[in-house]
Amino acid sequence: MTTIAPAPGRERVTESDRSPAQRAPERVDHSRERVRGLDRVWLLVFLAPFLLLYLGFTIWPLIATIYYSFFDWSGIGPIENFAGVDNYGSILADPLFWVSVVNTLIFALLTTVIKLPISLVAAILLTRKWLRGKRFFRTVFFAPLIIPVAMAGLIFTYLLNPSNGALNAILRDLGLVDEGFDVFANRWSALLVLVLVSIWQIFGQYMIYWMAALQNVPEELYEAAAIDGASEWKKLTRITLPIIKPVAVIITLLGLVNAMHVFGLVVTLTAGGPGTSTYVVSYFIYQNAFGRVPFDYGYASAAALLFSVIAFVLVSAQGLAVRRAQRLRKEYGV
Amino acid sequence: MNPHRRGTAVIITAAIASLLLAACGTSTNSSSSSGGGTQTTLKIWDFSAEQVQFHKDIGAQFTKEHPNIKIEWRSITQADYMKTLPLAFQSNQAPDMFYWNATGLSELLDQKWIRPLSPDGTVPADFTKRWPDGSFLDGINMQDGKTYGFPFTENLYWGSGYMFLNKQVFQQAGLDVNNPPKTWTDLKNACAQIKAKTKAECIAAPTKGEDMQRIWYGLVSSVSTSSTDFFDYKTGKFNLTAPGQLKTFAFIQELKKAGYLAPGTNDKNFSRQQFAAGQAGIYFDGTWMLSVWDSQGFSSDNYVVAPRVDPDEGQTGAGGRTYDGNKYWVSSQTKHPDAAWTFIQWMTDPNGYFVQQYYKNAFGTLSYVDNQKMVSHPVLKQIMQIGAKPGYRVQLPEPLLKCPDIAKSKAYVNALTKTPDAEWEAMNEALVSGQPLASVGAAIVKQRQTALEEGLEQEAASGLKVSMDCYTFPEWDSTKDYTSDMYKS
Repeated sequence: MTTIAPAPGRERVTESDRSPAQRAPERVDHSRERVRGLDRVWLLVFLAPFLLLYLGFTIWPLIATIYYSFFDWSGIGPIENFAGVDNYGSILADPLFWVSVVNTLIFALLTTVIKLPISLVAAILLTRKWLRGKRFFRTVFFAPLIIPVAMAGLIFTYLLNPSNGALNAILRDLGLVDEGFDVFANRWSALLVLVLVSIWQIFGQYMIYWMAALQNVPEELYEAAAIDGASEWKKLTRITLPIIKPVAVIITLLGLVNAMHVFGLVVTLTAGGPGTSTYVVSYFIYQNAFGRVPFDYGYASAAALLFSVIAFVLVSAQGLAVRRAQRLRKEYGV
Repeated sequence: MNPHRRGTAVIITAAIASLLLAACGTSTNSSSSSGGGTQTTLKIWDFSAEQVQFHKDIGAQFTKEHPNIKIEWRSITQADYMKTLPLAFQSNQAPDMFYWNATGLSELLDQKWIRPLSPDGTVPADFTKRWPDGSFLDGINMQDGKTYGFPFTENLYWGSGYMFLNKQVFQQAGLDVNNPPKTWTDLKNACAQIKAKTKAECIAAPTKGEDMQRIWYGLVSSVSTSSTDFFDYKTGKFNLTAPGQLKTFAFIQELKKAGYLAPGTNDKNFSRQQFAAGQAGIYFDGTWMLSVWDSQGFSSDNYVVAPRVDPDEGQTGAGGRTYDGNKYWVSSQTKHPDAAWTFIQWMTDPNGYFVQQYYKNAFGTLSYVDNQKMVSHPVLKQIMQIGAKPGYRVQLPEPLLKCPDIAKSKAYVNALTKTPDAEWEAMNEALVSGQPLASVGAAIVKQRQTALEEGLEQEAASGLKVSMDCYTFPEWDSTKDYTSDMYKS
């Protein structure tokens, strides 16, 4: 049996290090085959609903948002007052916009940093063969996701209320506090509550993502490691984590992007308060677009576009990592 | 083509086409044939959730008297309403009549939301005679000889600035509910007793967003007379950081620090429930609370209403009365101006069914009704006694009556609309952080004042006869009415 050494400067053996005879047979990419005849019609028929919806609900609103952002427009009546880049100038000088941006980034980073590791741990536990009641735990962890965000916000508003909320009542009954603690009275504690409630709600979804990734790790690798006497910790750190790393990058990206859209919880839990200290960008846009009369669509559109640019830069940086991850995924076959 | 495939393609095409046709065919016509004649449906929107049953009764009675007109009255919660109605106008789905008090006549005309009350724009004298003299003014509810609005609720008794006391909590605390706190010190003493002798909080004070106004108007009106926009007509300045306002806010902070405000950043609904559930002894709010609590099953024999509390040094301010009591408007998008005008005449009949039922339900006091004669509810009578005391509410100066061109000016509205809730947000922030209001609110006052002054200067340069002088009434004793004869001097 011949062994293959990796090329100088690389730790891992790749396909290019093997001789053509040793390489795995190339997969034929059928997706690039030309579609002919009636199949072309069917392709269009099946794609048409999606394309129509995509044009109507993604491309058109995007173009409209760009257009509106250059006007001083209330959303009612003709779009006449061309404002040039005035809206952008005002937003860049608006301290509340920057508070919102910072809060959104803090929220996105914190939720991602907390929810991904703990949902991964839960997923690893729930994919262990020895664990009983997996279905029960999966349902328990997934259940908060089916509660509407508005309802979750209301539930926690009442739970955390310092007057008669359950949490404060327990703390008082245990003699841990004399007076109820108002978590919404301080920017940082209010933000932390937003983060924790968001994690509580979305935890199950990320756990499912991780479970899907874990189920793609070939079982024979674990069997081989067991024969070699590897501990569970070694299996985790030497087999599981390296193999799911490409998917982890994608899950992280999803987690960040989803967290940047936070809105419903802010509306129901803090309404941007105390004062304006927990404003996030979606709430800022909403308040400018609908929070006063006359509406200020132009300003809100400009804010939405500016934040999209910021988010795009962040996501693009992640995109590079995702591309690398996709390559690794193909290599690992997961 | 394979015949089987062709058949499938035809079926799919037909299904898509029928769906598209069905979507295009939706009708929005609000007239329908019923029996012998055509029945018009008049859509009315407001945010009086506690009046839903009343509106149903009103609709049924009106249709009984006018079989060709059906009333469809929709009540939406206040916060949603402020977004839903503008969106309805934007999408050409506005109701025929709507309730709106957030902006005045000139803004509504500017937004093209309203049309005159009657089809031809004029209203007969027997209609305007239902109101006291001086109720119909150019710029307030009339423009270019056409009448667009009418005062609905009167403004002497109706409004915020009343203190509600929970009988059960006061009794448990050993306090006499019929001898309510009269001064700030009395209030603190009552709170100390409630906290010491009951499990209830003292004051259920909502502090979330603009709901902060409930306790604010319950206290500040005794110190300083200003408009609800934090504007002082005596000095012509936005006054969030004026001495009276700072003093009042410092007192609220003192109440909070002492634990006399129910903890939490609560909204008005939570605080109202807290009071009704006997979890708080005191709640500040307005005339409408009778019907709100009544609709929630908390009857008026469980509480009493009292005047707001004064600073220990005595009252130096008053609640403000304004000319703008317009509430219901006819939509510019209505296809039924005749039906709307018929309904308006019917609802404003001082002896009609609408008025009788309105007072029977104790919803408040109307401007076209003899309230002394019509009010029978004991708590509403109590409110009327309080509101009628000299100096409890005073008529604010009206810049429009000093400078008619103010009707065309946008400067004041523009100064307010950019950040409409800024004052409440600043108060909320200062309250939870313990910072003085002066430091948190200074930027807001400066921004508003600058916007107003610069806006007026620009408008004056373009030919309007407007200036800061229109908004300044230095000779006014702000504890008394600014009467119509004062404009002449």
